Amino acid sequence: MRKLFLVLASIFTTLSIVFAFLPLGTLALIPIGIAILFGFLALKKSDLKQRKAIKVILLFAILSLVVVVGKEIFMKDEVEVDKQFDTKKSESKKDAKKDLEELDDL
Amino acid sequence: MRKFIFNVILVLSYSFSFSQIKPNERLVYAASYNMSGLMTQLAQVSMETEMMETSKKTFLHLSVQAATFSKWDSFFKIRDLYESYVNPKTLKAILFKRSIIEGSYSKTEKYIFKSDGKTISSTSKTNNKPETKKTFTVGTSTQDIVSIIYKLRTIDFQNYKNGQTKSFVIVFDEKEVPVLVKFMGIEPVSAGNLGTKNCYKISISAKTNALKGKDKNLIWLTADSKKIPALIKFSIPVGTGQLTLSSATGI
Repeated sequence: MRKLFLVLASIFTTLSIVFAFLPLGTLALIPIGIAILFGFLALKKSDLKQRKAIKVILLFAILSLVVVVGKEIFMKDEVEVDKQFDTKKSESKKDAKKDLEELDDL
Repeated sequence: MRKFIFNVILVLSYSFSFSQIKPNERLVYAASYNMSGLMTQLAQVSMETEMMETSKKTFLHLSVQAATFSKWDSFFKIRDLYESYVNPKTLKAILFKRSIIEGSYSKTEKYIFKSDGKTISSTSKTNNKPETKKTFTVGTSTQDIVSIIYKLRTIDFQNYKNGQTKSFVIVFDEKEVPVLVKFMGIEPVSAGNLGTKNCYKISISAKTNALKGKDKNLIWLTADSKKIPALIKFSIPVGTGQLTLSSATGI
């Protein structure tokens, strides 16, 4: 049982790290929560000598949690200034004006 | 005094001539998508109005833009632009333009609503395929997808009863789609910089595969003369999402 918890905690910690660095926002909290849960279960089933690896796994899961929470608090959702899109918008307006000028008897 | 009266008349005629939809209005929304039960903010959607003058006429330019937040751009970049040029008094569509870039998919469309009121001349281009041109007939009251949002805001929901409906027809992807709008009462909704507002809850259903579920596609319009869309919830085959109003200016 300890091995199963350890494997699951490792898998979800890996997922947590990946999710924490992807722009998935609070969605990363799902693997982090599961990783911490299995980590603690594995910790409970372990002897004092067997706890080092689990502590490292838990440390990475908690660090992922800090990264996700930090990103949510300090990083604002912003749209990049896109000159290509701005040019497209002004060209679209010019074309529309030309089309509207050409329309008769509206 | 005469100048004052002239100004009053001018202001009144101005406000009536624009069917409640004023130029230079800007509504900004945060678009979220439901990922495994958690709403994740993906993009910013803005709706803008402005006047467009040609040598013959004046049009109201309605535009809806969607752009993914910068953190998503390297994974799935969206730059969508939907535009409608309408008669400022009736909101009848004259010209509709659509330009979308969603990841590796791109599409441009242009509909010219002919003066007979029932013919559309369309030009369409998807990815690198050659441009196609088509002329097709529609009903005289058929609107495009942008102008219908603004048309919805001109309905007097004050006298509507719960469950009361109104029908529209829109044209999308060169096909006519019947749309049914159902009034579902009044609810308080958080409306960005406008604070919490009592809103008309409206259900929108359309005979299309793009929308899913009964009363799952909802729009809350502020229950005042401006009828600002404060919250929009949608259900599509690949999930659900919502647009929450962040800021409303020029209203």
